[in-house]
Amino acid sequence: MAEETAFDPKKFKEAVEEKTNARLKMWLEICAHCGLCADTCHFYLANDKDPKMIPAVKGKRVLEAFKKKDKIDEEFLEDFYWTVYGDCTMCRRCTMFCPFGIDIATITSTGRGLCVSQGKVPENLVKTIESYYKHGNQMEVSEEDWIDTLQWMEEELQEELPGATIPIDKKGANLLYTVNAREPKFYPMDISQAAMVFYLAGEDWTMSSKGWDDTNLAMFAGDLKAASYISQLVRDAAEELEVKRVAITE
Amino acid sequence: MRALQFEAPVWLGRDHNFEVVHSVTLFAEYLREGRIKLDKSVFANERCTYQDPCNVSRNGGCGKDAREIIKYLCEDFVEMEPHGDYNFCCGGGGGAIPMAGAFRERRLRSGKVKAEQIRATGASICITPCHNCYDQIRDLNKEYELGIKVLSFKEMFEEALIVPEELKAKDEDEDEE
Repeated sequence: MAEETAFDPKKFKEAVEEKTNARLKMWLEICAHCGLCADTCHFYLANDKDPKMIPAVKGKRVLEAFKKKDKIDEEFLEDFYWTVYGDCTMCRRCTMFCPFGIDIATITSTGRGLCVSQGKVPENLVKTIESYYKHGNQMEVSEEDWIDTLQWMEEELQEELPGATIPIDKKGANLLYTVNAREPKFYPMDISQAAMVFYLAGEDWTMSSKGWDDTNLAMFAGDLKAASYISQLVRDAAEELEVKRVAITE
Repeated sequence: MRALQFEAPVWLGRDHNFEVVHSVTLFAEYLREGRIKLDKSVFANERCTYQDPCNVSRNGGCGKDAREIIKYLCEDFVEMEPHGDYNFCCGGGGGAIPMAGAFRERRLRSGKVKAEQIRATGASICITPCHNCYDQIRDLNKEYELGIKVLSFKEMFEEALIVPEELKAKDEDEDEE
């Protein structure tokens, strides 16, 4: 993504224009600054009630960006970047208390999308997105390692439950079980534990050799093009295997 | 879950021709239908609390299913206040876990609210069905010296599931005799 990291006000303006819509415009203009959202935010409470952390104030940063368009400078962008990625987890708790139901999470996500236009995305998130494109999962797990892990977990499980299996690519199964790529990477036992539950429940289930990572860090990065691509991987796997349900890991 | 269940049909221009279900809902179904059974005595000496992941409870609608599982699993369960749809984010959401460097410090600081919530329950186990919450609360456990165990439902099931005798591996020594 190196060529995209340059500061580019024109691209910023294009991103603003692309992301402007009636709902967002209304939210940004309707806020009455009543302050009810302040105490709902864990960032505000954990940072000695720093006014910068009030959800409405963070939302206002995005409004400023929308007004500035190509008049942004690098200092503004830097501060904006830390606000949208570092000071909001898009948990949507504030929206539960907002009299107008303003969705700060969507506003933050839009703000992150503006940063994407500048190639300004936290380094490790960029790495995961590259990994989704290259390996189909966020943790650079190759198909070979994935299958090996499933077989290894099956063997482990069979020591306790000789009849238990971890089916792979079983067409027409009722349930496709998908996981977080952190599982094959750091927590493989999660997979055998799930298999144990499915075995004892008598579930007709399968795992997929492709499109098995149900995380979508591109959504959190604000990169909706990549986010769509990632969900397509899982959807393709589910449709290919003709399953009725897709289960998401814990 | 949020991505695949709610956002993807819009991104990809049509509804899925399959149902998306979170493990929490699935496990609650299995227990409700009697397809799996848990031995509640296994965690009888532990006080448990539950971390509602934002994208599973508030934004996913699975809070009630989680409580149903807990009824089959825990003798001593204490809710955090607030909880369910009004629960605080642990600080690890929205992609915060993989963001490294200066983001890590912000993440741990923002988790102070969650750490205090957990401490107030007096729980020895914090259950959470989300890898982001799981990793964040494990970090908070160290940072704020909570002295708890962080577990997923699956990890607890592994201990508590009742396995019919005929499905268990036979002791090899016994076979030889």
